Amino acid sequence: MGRLIAVHSYKGGTGKTLLSINLAATFAKRGKKVCLFDLDFRAPSLATILKVEKPEYWMNDYLNGTCDIEKVLLDFSDRIKSKDTLYVAPANPATEAIRDMSAKDRKWEMKALGRLLALRNSLLTGNGFDYLIFDTSPGLQYSSINAIVSADLVIVATTFDRSDVDGTRRMLRELYDLFEKKTEVVLNKVLDVSSKSSKDEVQTKIKDVYQVPLLGMIPCFCDILKAEGNTIFAEDKPDHPFTKILSEMAREIDQM
Amino acid sequence: MESAAVAAQDLSSRKPTLILEKIRESLERLNEKIEVMIELTKHDRRDIEQPIADAPLDVMTLLSMPDHLRKTAMTACRLGRATADEIAQQTHRARAVESSYLNQLVIMGHMKKERKGRKAYFYVDRESQG
Repeated sequence: MGRLIAVHSYKGGTGKTLLSINLAATFAKRGKKVCLFDLDFRAPSLATILKVEKPEYWMNDYLNGTCDIEKVLLDFSDRIKSKDTLYVAPANPATEAIRDMSAKDRKWEMKALGRLLALRNSLLTGNGFDYLIFDTSPGLQYSSINAIVSADLVIVATTFDRSDVDGTRRMLRELYDLFEKKTEVVLNKVLDVSSKSSKDEVQTKIKDVYQVPLLGMIPCFCDILKAEGNTIFAEDKPDHPFTKILSEMAREIDQM
Repeated sequence: MESAAVAAQDLSSRKPTLILEKIRESLERLNEKIEVMIELTKHDRRDIEQPIADAPLDVMTLLSMPDHLRKTAMTACRLGRATADEIAQQTHRARAVESSYLNQLVIMGHMKKERKGRKAYFYVDRESQG
């Protein structure tokens, strides 16, 4: 049986989308059937990053109940030179669509939760997917909490920024703990992890601060900034240290 | 003639069983009602007597619930439609406990309850609301 993974963070710009895309590509390259969902309806990015040209249906339509999930999924397996492994469900980046999604009421959000939960049956059981990865909005957004509640595993992307550390810690106690979610932390934009001792130090510090396991640490890579969101590192740069870190994370999740 | 006698005998032997079944059903219903009353008194919610119509079980509502109810509600969300027994298997709590929590959620308007024969099914009514 496959699993649902929600990638979330307290603040924006912590690397959720980068992590989601590359984790999806890494799983797909390991022969897993993966679908990546853009659930950041306030600031959709998958459509732009993956250069999606006006699809007939968006993830917005599935959550609105106007189409089946199969109509939304786009096959991106070609992008990583494989077949039937990588699918994407993008969110509509049009301003009107963002406005529409931010004006939803509690009843709509409740139905949306039902539709996210239904993906377990339609995609994991029905279509043989191994992983569904939800890229979410930062903070305590309705759509993000819906994703967290539906997920089997929550990956929290965080940095050493003080307001991020503080917010993440609160979020872990007051949100994830209440839903009894299995949670792992990914520390991003880490400076100086070259020596073994500093790596161990960071690991101990993270476990101390957050009291959840550390899935991985990603150093600050200028190459990632230079790529301007045009590169799927896990595919385009197989020898890059970032790709290797992602492989290690995927391997660890596989074994959970 | 002989077969009619057998049928009559069969009926007379089944009758006490049927009556016992009915008594058992009534007792179970009574038990559920008592469980709900106990639960409501425990959490000092005697004020809630009538089910509140249409209180959506959204994530913010889940977040603000007391821990014991959230666990039941989350499990019910995941299973879709379930009996107190099925919920109890997931939460590792006693069936009677889950039954009272589920009934409380029904009273609060977050869930619906439907009887099918001797079984009571609980579910989140997502489609009829709004």
